[in-house]
Amino acid sequence: MRISGLAARLVLSPTVLVTVVCFYGCAVWTAYISFTKSSFIPNYTFNGLAQYERLFATPRWGVAYTNMFIFGVLLVVGALAVGLLLAIMIDRNVRGEGFFRTVMLYPLSMSFIVTGLAWQWVLSPSIGVQHFVRDLGFPNFTFDWIAQQDRAIYTLVFAGVWHQAGLIMAIMLAGLRGVDRDIWRATKVEGIPTWRVYLGIVLPMLRPLVVTCVVLLSVAVVKSYDLVVAMTGGGPGFASDLPGKFVVDFSFERANIGQASAAAVVMLGSVFAALAPYFYVELRKRGQ
Amino acid sequence: MKAARIGLYAFLLGAALFFSIPLLIVVMTSLKPMTEIRTGSIFALPLAPNFDAWVKAWMSACTGLACEGIRVGFWNSFRILVPSVALSVMAGALNGYALAQWKPPGANALLTALMLGAFIPYQVILYPMVKILSNIGLYNSLPGIIAVHIIFGLPVMTLIFRNFYAGLPDELLKAARVDGAGFWRIFFEIMLPLSINILIVAVILQVTGIWNDYLLGLIFAGRDNAPMTVQLNLIVNTSMGEQEHNVNMAATLLTALPPLLVYFASGRYFVRGITAGAVKG
Amino acid sequence: MSAVQVRGLRKSYGPLDVLRNIDLEVREGEFTVLLGPSGCGKSTLLSAIAGLDPVNAGRIEIGGVDVTDLDPSARGIAMVFQSYALYPTMTVRNNMTFGLRVKRLPKAEIDKRLTWAADMLQLTALLDRKPAQLSGGQRQRVAIGRALVQQSRVFLFDEPLSNLDAKLRAEMRVEIKRLHRELAPTVVYVTHDQIEAMTLATRIAVMRGGQIEQYATPDELYERPQTLFVAGFVGSPAMNFLPVVLRRNGGAVAAELGPVTIPLDAYAFATPPADGTQAIFGIRPEHAALSGAGVQVATETLFMEPMGADTLGWFQLGTEKLSARLAPQTARGISGPQRLALDIANASIFARDTEQRL
Repeated sequence: MRISGLAARLVLSPTVLVTVVCFYGCAVWTAYISFTKSSFIPNYTFNGLAQYERLFATPRWGVAYTNMFIFGVLLVVGALAVGLLLAIMIDRNVRGEGFFRTVMLYPLSMSFIVTGLAWQWVLSPSIGVQHFVRDLGFPNFTFDWIAQQDRAIYTLVFAGVWHQAGLIMAIMLAGLRGVDRDIWRATKVEGIPTWRVYLGIVLPMLRPLVVTCVVLLSVAVVKSYDLVVAMTGGGPGFASDLPGKFVVDFSFERANIGQASAAAVVMLGSVFAALAPYFYVELRKRGQ
Repeated sequence: MKAARIGLYAFLLGAALFFSIPLLIVVMTSLKPMTEIRTGSIFALPLAPNFDAWVKAWMSACTGLACEGIRVGFWNSFRILVPSVALSVMAGALNGYALAQWKPPGANALLTALMLGAFIPYQVILYPMVKILSNIGLYNSLPGIIAVHIIFGLPVMTLIFRNFYAGLPDELLKAARVDGAGFWRIFFEIMLPLSINILIVAVILQVTGIWNDYLLGLIFAGRDNAPMTVQLNLIVNTSMGEQEHNVNMAATLLTALPPLLVYFASGRYFVRGITAGAVKG
Repeated sequence: MSAVQVRGLRKSYGPLDVLRNIDLEVREGEFTVLLGPSGCGKSTLLSAIAGLDPVNAGRIEIGGVDVTDLDPSARGIAMVFQSYALYPTMTVRNNMTFGLRVKRLPKAEIDKRLTWAADMLQLTALLDRKPAQLSGGQRQRVAIGRALVQQSRVFLFDEPLSNLDAKLRAEMRVEIKRLHRELAPTVVYVTHDQIEAMTLATRIAVMRGGQIEQYATPDELYERPQTLFVAGFVGSPAMNFLPVVLRRNGGAVAAELGPVTIPLDAYAFATPPADGTQAIFGIRPEHAALSGAGVQVATETLFMEPMGADTLGWFQLGTEKLSARLAPQTARGISGPQRLALDIANASIFARDTEQRL
């Protein structure tokens, strides 16, 4: 007991060290830096909320932060709707289920860099969809969102939904398959239409899964970086910038660690805000 | 009823098209010469499919000044991947076993801390991590990027294995202890042989995750060790002069190929890994 | 000489006391059963003897050696678990020899013990199978085999039969009894099944709330339960309990149950009770008969519960119900007022406040 218990603690000690230093230590350091005078290099002089005031006065940050919400809401709603719909369709005893699942899930195995590049080409005015439709005999057809200041952010949603819908489908399908078969039999006996069963009975049963999916997608949105780098590079200008890219650019290329830290802390706060529904559900579960 | 059925299949086929089109376009374009791309439609099948663009992408595509092809990135990714996956999976398995089976004091606290740690965006940690690694001389080095992958893989790997080992009956450990086996012997002779499936899941999750990583490779690997994703982005998004779309798409495909092959070879495990990694306990 | 000796053992999880000051002595070759409802601490006590859970206070000796601070494997014990805990990836052979290999016994010795145990339990044909390929009963035998090859002084069983169906359980009970007779090891065996306890044990320790209520032979336990709890827990169908007030009239004691008075002259009181003592009068159904000697009481027939070999007859006695074990032939056609003869010498009387036998 004594020796073996010691072995377990010994094995876990590097993880404890890494957790304390690399995760929490670094996060605390960044949080502290965001309240200092730091600019090119870390400066430990406390300076209140000045970094945050400057950050929110920076137009590029304003765009990036707003984009996070636009991208987030659309991606969450889009991926959830598409994923859920696909899961329900596949659950209707379709033939070739394996084929459909394979096709819908393969994007998940691809990196966001690859995803971003592929969609960059699909949506590129010169070689993509616009080019194709014009060649079909509609010379005035225009679909150049990726090159438009006020539209580029929406193109990220296409790629994001394409990449994530499969995951939602897989989670939801597992949930649908877990619904007691007797519930379906009972509704058949009572003659309730299928769509009413989904809407009134099955979906409410899947609510915990929906919450999980919303949280997952929201956290992914806050963290997203690679997709925008590959697809639009944050452009045109910085029209499709996101906080993740803002922090990396300011940490390394633009070397303003004070601003980068303040932005990173806002990201961290956003992640925990996105996690709130999950904690709410957990707390309620424990309360009951 | 019949019409509804047809509508159902129509919808599903439409969805399948939506999911496959980007890949199809990239595959088809990579097999065309540039003249055909300029004049023809992006959806047209290649007239005379050939792998010239693939060869160029592999052997001589340019990343900035160097024109040695994406193979450099491929081998860099490979050298990063193998030790990172092996070590992070092993660390996760050992951690999960120690936490779930031996339940040392503070196990739950560590687990919660790890779970929350997994949600911290990389951006919050990147800069101080760079400082730490520079101080110990690992910044911009192969061991450095491997260490970073292991560190960032710890939460998910630990959670996956902890959940697996927590599902085993307690009496297994008790029986082995009565038989006189210790911590390591129980792990290697009893627990590990039981964990084949979950090991496969974890390996797949890490292989695709680390291969697909861009941000950590960009920041920590340094120019000489830049992984394939970083090189790919350099080739496509910073090249001078006219874009060689066929070469770019071939390079993209080459980068996407390893995880795609893993996916097609291991569908069931892949889905389990993705959902386990996503739902995180 | 005592094989297992437990003294002053205490164990608590936070504010919850699971074991309170346990003393237990198991003699060499004895088959001791720890019996009690779930949550009574019997499995915790077994775990403590095995060394799988640390204890807060107390001392455990096995074979005269203080093992309180020793690892499980250093205590000279072998154990059989409720879920069998067979190592799923190992064959039966490797399951049974794992512990011996860990202890680096010579190969010849390992083979000898394996052959012996496999032969003893008819496992020889199954040695190369994996646990998943075995039936429940076979897995159980492998688990016992794994304990047997240790050739330990003390065997610990943690509810080993509770995962088997009724028929298999009866078979394995006989098997375990046979092994104990042939090998005569010291056994500590946990169960909540009183039939298992009565058939297997040389002595039974009935536990409740982390304490041992009574530690005695099965007969003693059944015939002279020391506490109300033991009386109620042991025996099926259960003992009748009637709330009574004890009345002393000179040397004679009688129990008052409302208007009914039951003279207790035949009962051997440990100490003569005071007049007016609130008590529980307990009598087993087989000690109430329709005819014969004993104290006669007037009852009204309620209904019959046929149970196969016997029929349990229910009768109204004053304000209380009373059951009697009847032969099925006699039970048929019984109705209306009946006189029951109670065998007072075999009754049990407990103080209502302390629940101890009077």
